[in-house]
Amino acid sequence: MLFHTWPFLLFFLIVYAVYLPLRRTPLWLHWLLAASYFFYGWWNPLYLLLVVYSTALDFFVVIAMERSRRKKLWLWVSLLNNLFLLGFFKYGAFVTQNVNDGLMHLGLNYALPSPGVLLPVGISFYTFQSMSYTIDFYRDNIDRERSFIRFATFVSLFPQLVAGPIERAKQLLPQLREAPRVKSRDITDGLSLFVVGLFKKVALADYLAMYVDPIYATPDRYGAPALMLATFAFAWQIYFDFSGYTDMARGVARMMGIRLMLNFNNPYLATSLGDFWSRWHISLSTWFRDYVYIPLGGNRRGSFVMYRNLFLAMVISGLWHGAAWTFVIWGALHALATMATRSAERSTWYRERFPKFVKQILVFGVVWFTWIFFRAESMSDAWLIVTRIFTAHWLDPALPLLALMLVGAVWLYQFLYESSVRQILDLSAVRVALVVLMILYLFIVPGSGGAAFIYFQF
Amino acid sequence: MTHKERTNTGEGPDVQFGSNAVRLSMRDWVIATSIVLLVMILTPLVWKHLEAFDPQTGFRVPYDLSDDYWTYQRLVDRTINDKRILIIGDSVIWGEYVDPHHTLSHYLNELDGETRFANGGLNGTHPLALQGLVQHYAKDVKDSRVILHCNLLWMSSAERDLQTEKEMAFNHPRLVPQFVPGIPCYKAPADERMGIVIDHHISLRTWVNHLRVAAFDSLDVHSWTMENPYANPFERIRLESIQLKDAPHSLPIAWTKRGIQPQDIPWIDLDTSLQGQAFRTTAELLRDRGNSVFVIIGPFNEHMLTDESRERYRAMSQQVESWLDDEEIAHYAATPLPSHEYADASHPLSAGYGRLAEQVYEHSEFQQWLRARP
Repeated sequence: MLFHTWPFLLFFLIVYAVYLPLRRTPLWLHWLLAASYFFYGWWNPLYLLLVVYSTALDFFVVIAMERSRRKKLWLWVSLLNNLFLLGFFKYGAFVTQNVNDGLMHLGLNYALPSPGVLLPVGISFYTFQSMSYTIDFYRDNIDRERSFIRFATFVSLFPQLVAGPIERAKQLLPQLREAPRVKSRDITDGLSLFVVGLFKKVALADYLAMYVDPIYATPDRYGAPALMLATFAFAWQIYFDFSGYTDMARGVARMMGIRLMLNFNNPYLATSLGDFWSRWHISLSTWFRDYVYIPLGGNRRGSFVMYRNLFLAMVISGLWHGAAWTFVIWGALHALATMATRSAERSTWYRERFPKFVKQILVFGVVWFTWIFFRAESMSDAWLIVTRIFTAHWLDPALPLLALMLVGAVWLYQFLYESSVRQILDLSAVRVALVVLMILYLFIVPGSGGAAFIYFQF
Repeated sequence: MTHKERTNTGEGPDVQFGSNAVRLSMRDWVIATSIVLLVMILTPLVWKHLEAFDPQTGFRVPYDLSDDYWTYQRLVDRTINDKRILIIGDSVIWGEYVDPHHTLSHYLNELDGETRFANGGLNGTHPLALQGLVQHYAKDVKDSRVILHCNLLWMSSAERDLQTEKEMAFNHPRLVPQFVPGIPCYKAPADERMGIVIDHHISLRTWVNHLRVAAFDSLDVHSWTMENPYANPFERIRLESIQLKDAPHSLPIAWTKRGIQPQDIPWIDLDTSLQGQAFRTTAELLRDRGNSVFVIIGPFNEHMLTDESRERYRAMSQQVESWLDDEEIAHYAATPLPSHEYADASHPLSAGYGRLAEQVYEHSEFQQWLRARP
């Protein structure tokens, strides 16, 4: 069930109509959990077994941790279980393929059978969310959750279950402990977030996908301008797609009186790669910071260790996105670029005198380049695209001017939002006009039919 | 809750609202919603005044605009305003093998000496689609005289009756009932079906569809810009009147010259036929709106049928007549035309339409119906 489809609207109206009166009774949490499981089971009821298993294991692991002196052992039980689930369902085929390739290179006539399992939607998100609970408890940062229903709701809360934001127990569980107070401001804020998210997804992301998909499916047929512009369009497509989903998720939760964290903060205005990762998929980058980068030593043990930790965290983050070498390369490129900008920022001249706008363009250029590896169907396709960008003929790219204008308008809006003229955008008339334009655009311009969100595959 | 966690004050944790200024207050939302509603209501109304629509004698919805229910709606509005009689049906009424001046409505007008009859045929509207067309886009057909055509061809096989389990493409999927009754060969996802149901009730969406069909090669604007990346979409929008094509849509050749052999058409049991039920629903709907309904059955090309199949067809036709009798709906089951006056199983050629018009016009029940006040 996708947020931008009619079945979701119907689902939400029913859930919300019951939720509002029920939130004054102890049953509101049960209702929220039932709705969340229904939402998840809509894709495939079998997936529910997995989320319930993952939830139950972490719930009981923490109980065991509390009662046992061997807390670390139980932490490992939780970590290994979650990583095994991820590994089996997400990386099983990837590992098998690579092992088989290796065996073939060694001339051994043997091949491991492929696991042949479907990747359950959102598994990367809810396992990370659940793991953060056990790790935080182990670190004595949070109390044990006493109610299984509440913990299960925390893991599977439907607005953020399948594509985040990856919430922390410390932030979300307390909100589930008391009946939420839904004020009119929550409803208006939630609607505002939802409309913006819907516009990003339907009017922008799905539109750009129409240009990107055929080019990336057969890159050998296109010239350099088309490949460059398709990557440019993909940079914005994935931003609109994922941040649009997050906006809608936050909007839906907000209408129910639950506040989810900001996940995207105009990442294409970043002035360094570090800045980019503090604006892009914030819930994931902070997760890796807190649970991978810092435990590895962070920046406490000198430059070499810091860069090593950074590199490892980025490569693992790349692999989190997908079971393919293209994602590993993507992560590694980001790591190298982050190291480079971090080094550059040590210079006062770069930090203070290098024009901000140029930094922004440079950072966007690097991020643009790395998206080639993220989007390409295979490593060979990625290399082909990189090669063709520099060597292929300059054929007509045929990127619709309308798409270019829309992206330009959004980029300009973001620049203005972070500039001194922001107060103009804060004017009631401007905000109302934008919402009216977005709603009417959605009614009139795009075609019908909701495409799936890119991040569902992760 | 302990010191480790933030106290839940009911305000929720202090999280940043968003990365843009689009945050509307209740007052803002009221204003925005009012403007959107106003635009949604006014745009189609204003457009009707801006866009020329001047149906000449013999007007029929052009073939290329068969999916443009906005234009059909305008035709209906005009016909009802002019107190003319709309003839509703599929391509038999529309006139697949003839030009606009050799259709049933044309010949009836000729016999009548006035231009009382309007061609309300729409290509490809099988009864399930016709039901949706009448239900949603011919709402103004009320307290009037209306002729409904019954083409039994749609009940001739499980495929035509849309009863096959295998997914099958058919005309006007947006007009058929989306949920009840279930159409076995229609496999559109729930989201698409719900969207269609909602679209039927929002006139702005009908107008949008009109623009797509009339100006953007039946594509949405995004898809159209993919094919015309540097073109200005606004330049495509025209406010001129629809130009009528004088040529028939298909070559007017008699079925006997097409090499078609007589066929043993199986026919579907009318009681279980989805198309048959849809036809009955449409007739009832029109009658319940206070219309005086006259039904024309056929004329089916019985020359194309084997003896057994012909018998089954006649039994079916009589069954429809009995039902119309029971419902007190005036009707006429056309007698078969000469073989060479058919282009295929159900479409007459020009001479066939002339003969059919004479049959209908001279029929006493039709004359009685024509003279009675609606």
